[in-house]
Amino acid sequence: MNNVIECKNLTHYYGKKLVYENLNFNVREGSILGLLGKNGAGKTTTINILHGFLQPRAGECLIYGENTQHLSPQTKSRIGFLIEGHVQYAFMDIHQIEKFYSGFYPHWNKEPYWELMSKLKVDPNQKISSMSCGQRSQVALGLILAQEPDLLILDDFSMGLDPGYRRLFIDYLRTYAKAENKTIFATSHIVQDMERLIDDVLIMDYNRVLAHSPIDEFMTGFKQFRFKMEPNGVDLEKEDFVVNLETTKNEFELYTYESEKFVKGFLDKNGIRYADFSMVPMGLEDAFIGLTGKY
Amino acid sequence: MIKSIVYKEWIKTRWFLLILTILGLLAVGNIFLKVQHYITFNEAHNYWYLVLFQNQQYFKGLKFIPLVIGLVIALVQYIPEITNKRIKLTFHLPINENKALLMMLGYGVAVLLLSFALLLIVFIFLSQHFFGAEIVHSALISVTPWFLAGLAAYFLSALVVMEAIWKYRIAYFLASAAFILFFFEKGMAGAYAPLNWKLAVLTLLISLSMTFSAYRFRKGEM
Repeated sequence: MNNVIECKNLTHYYGKKLVYENLNFNVREGSILGLLGKNGAGKTTTINILHGFLQPRAGECLIYGENTQHLSPQTKSRIGFLIEGHVQYAFMDIHQIEKFYSGFYPHWNKEPYWELMSKLKVDPNQKISSMSCGQRSQVALGLILAQEPDLLILDDFSMGLDPGYRRLFIDYLRTYAKAENKTIFATSHIVQDMERLIDDVLIMDYNRVLAHSPIDEFMTGFKQFRFKMEPNGVDLEKEDFVVNLETTKNEFELYTYESEKFVKGFLDKNGIRYADFSMVPMGLEDAFIGLTGKY
Repeated sequence: MIKSIVYKEWIKTRWFLLILTILGLLAVGNIFLKVQHYITFNEAHNYWYLVLFQNQQYFKGLKFIPLVIGLVIALVQYIPEITNKRIKLTFHLPINENKALLMMLGYGVAVLLLSFALLLIVFIFLSQHFFGAEIVHSALISVTPWFLAGLAAYFLSALVVMEAIWKYRIAYFLASAAFILFFFEKGMAGAYAPLNWKLAVLTLLISLSMTFSAYRFRKGEM
């Protein structure tokens, strides 16, 4: 399968502060990739590089084989960008903005736009600036869908949306993307939203990639074990198989890619006495926190 | 594509353009109401004497009108673009970024020229009604820098507004204000004759300065 986005050896600093070094990732054609990371982990930096609004210190990102710093109009017409906060031309109404964008895209299909607009209870002459955040999100989404892009880049698409609009946005988007074989690169600060949407997950932490795999593979491979134990001098946190260890008194939450058998075997081999050992089912948000830590 | 850009710019500016042009026309009308008033009560030849030999600038009511029009059109055109970094939307359009900016700039210049042309036509027509050709000619030489200042204010306001970083914005603003003062030096009617073409060249030279702010934005200075 072809890669729609290829980022190679991306390195960027803000002043002397390293954001990341030699970051590599790809987005496969027809897949939905979610970029997750804590605040300051480099999500916005990555989005800005993909948008062409930031020149990385080293490395490059290619979209359809073109460097994102110099995308041709033909390639830009294949990309639908959703800017953080669903920013649009707020001084226009829904008719004006549809008329404006339709002049740029040869395959403009206004049906999905008007289908979404029909669900909004807005006056036809109402300015976008006077709409709610949820309504504005539908306008921005409708415009992207009408553009019929092959790739959608969505920056923090859930920002400011209430649960109903978030669900509407995600369900509509996933159905559309799968039916039309679209590729999506998305970020959201609400991690559980991603679980319903994405095929692949890319989790970033300061300066590095913590996970990059299909979401199913990540969710079955990454595990949380909870148990009680008496410390016996073995520092679990230093073991290679331990991704993260959260401790409350003598209760432990251990995050790992290893199996229950492996972990129990390790505890037994090292003479660590434990009790109430259980594997805790996790959602994506639990796994994200388990991987990146609470702080 | 050009139709869409013009459409967007028109939505932003239409009411301001209309209102400013009407106010400009009213100001021109007011100038000649005063001229009419003076001539009615003090005889035409006395007024002509003042205009010819006492540097009575009957047209000075026009002085800051093009400047205000240029400034306001730039603000209403570019502030919405920089609010919430909305200019990103323009850069994502399937069109060369500089081409899109030049279309926006071209629209602004076109509507300013249209508005200024209307004011000048009415001004010349009414001037000819009251004065001889020499007076009208020297008046036109004197008002030319003011109209050029309107264009310069438009270009420089675009540069200032499109700059995303405040310290640069303030520096550009101060430099722009100093530059604009060149267009408002005091002098006898017609005194600007040898300078007008130089001011026109300077105005032309700064016409594309806004693309520099936009370039910096695209390279991550935001």
